[in-house]
Amino acid sequence: MNTDDLIDQLGRDVTVARPLPAPGIRTVLWTGWAITYLVVVAVMMFTVMSSTGVVPTPLYLVQQGAALITGIVAARAALASVIPGANSRVWVMPAIGAGVWGLALLWAGVLDLREFGTLGVSGESDWPCVVSMTVGGLVVGAPLAWMVRRGAPLTPGRTAFLAALAALSFANVEACVMRPHVFALTVLLWHGGTAAAIAALCALTGSRWLRWPDLATR
Amino acid sequence: MDESPAPDEHLAHLMARAQQGDSTAYVTLLRAITPRVRQLVRARRRFLSESDVEDVVQEVLLSVHAVRATYDPARPLIPWLSAIVRHRLADAGRRDVRRGAREIGVDDLDVTFQAPAANTREEMFGDPDALAQAIQALPPGQRQAVELLKLRELSLKEASALTGMSIAALKVATHRAITSLRRALRGIDEG
Repeated sequence: MNTDDLIDQLGRDVTVARPLPAPGIRTVLWTGWAITYLVVVAVMMFTVMSSTGVVPTPLYLVQQGAALITGIVAARAALASVIPGANSRVWVMPAIGAGVWGLALLWAGVLDLREFGTLGVSGESDWPCVVSMTVGGLVVGAPLAWMVRRGAPLTPGRTAFLAALAALSFANVEACVMRPHVFALTVLLWHGGTAAAIAALCALTGSRWLRWPDLATR
Repeated sequence: MDESPAPDEHLAHLMARAQQGDSTAYVTLLRAITPRVRQLVRARRRFLSESDVEDVVQEVLLSVHAVRATYDPARPLIPWLSAIVRHRLADAGRRDVRRGAREIGVDDLDVTFQAPAANTREEMFGDPDALAQAIQALPPGQRQAVELLKLRELSLKEASALTGMSIAALKVATHRAITSLRRALRGIDEG
């Protein structure tokens, strides 16, 4: 088709397209949903067990705080990555957040080693947390996936990775609340490993579920 | 076509109206950005033929249409548009690489058919040097028509725009060129 004819056709097809809210506003909306989910899970745990068994040491709070901040900035980065011309370096903040989370867990592992004389790697498996994080990640991540799909799939792999990281960071907090662990390295290996594997899978398949709309039929 | 760029504020205003469903503003906007998109594509992919450039331009216009809701009217339009062009060019490049890796040029296959009727004289002729010499021997108008329409595979309209010749004149020149080439090559082949 001739370009001039295409322009005329697009002009005939044009409908109202309300501008998307800024990525910051959309991040606040999604964070509201994710925190509501966490609160509901925590309340259910208290209702059923009267206590979650969590001992909120300062280091534990740093870990969970870093995970939450990683989730929020990763969601912000994912939502910005579907806006053409937005800052392309937004992924730096999630990387810093994840780094702080990992370092806090490593430091906690050193403290475990001093206290118990072991890192607890062989003593504790964590398959229930893998399931919990996957399900929690789906519940928290589904609205985020819907939100990023409304944007432009400029870098589908990176967007999918960031969205998965955001959802799984919150799911990690949920898993830590539901099933407290004795050893920090277990959390790093099982929760971190689950988050890394699912986020990598999302990055690899991102171009399949974050595609340009079917332009040929327009 | 006027290739001078429109001021960014004006484009942003047109896009804001287009987002409200204003068809006239939208067509004006698309006509204003098309030369700029074409310029960007040519600058970044100098090796592309005119028809390939036009394919990318159309793909960019379709993408602009598909994601026009991602434009924030409070921001300048050009960085938004440039990002779409950049990514669509990268997509087109990746697609070409994939296609190149999967497909084999049929022209290079050394095959023939068993049935004598299928082996026409034209198919049997395969001396590219002789063909190049025969093309060089054509009169300038005919040579230009063959180069643009047959070798570069431009459309008649594109070739007409490039040369200033009418479409009818191009058709006549091509027909005469093909007749001359056939005659010249038959002579070589039989000699």
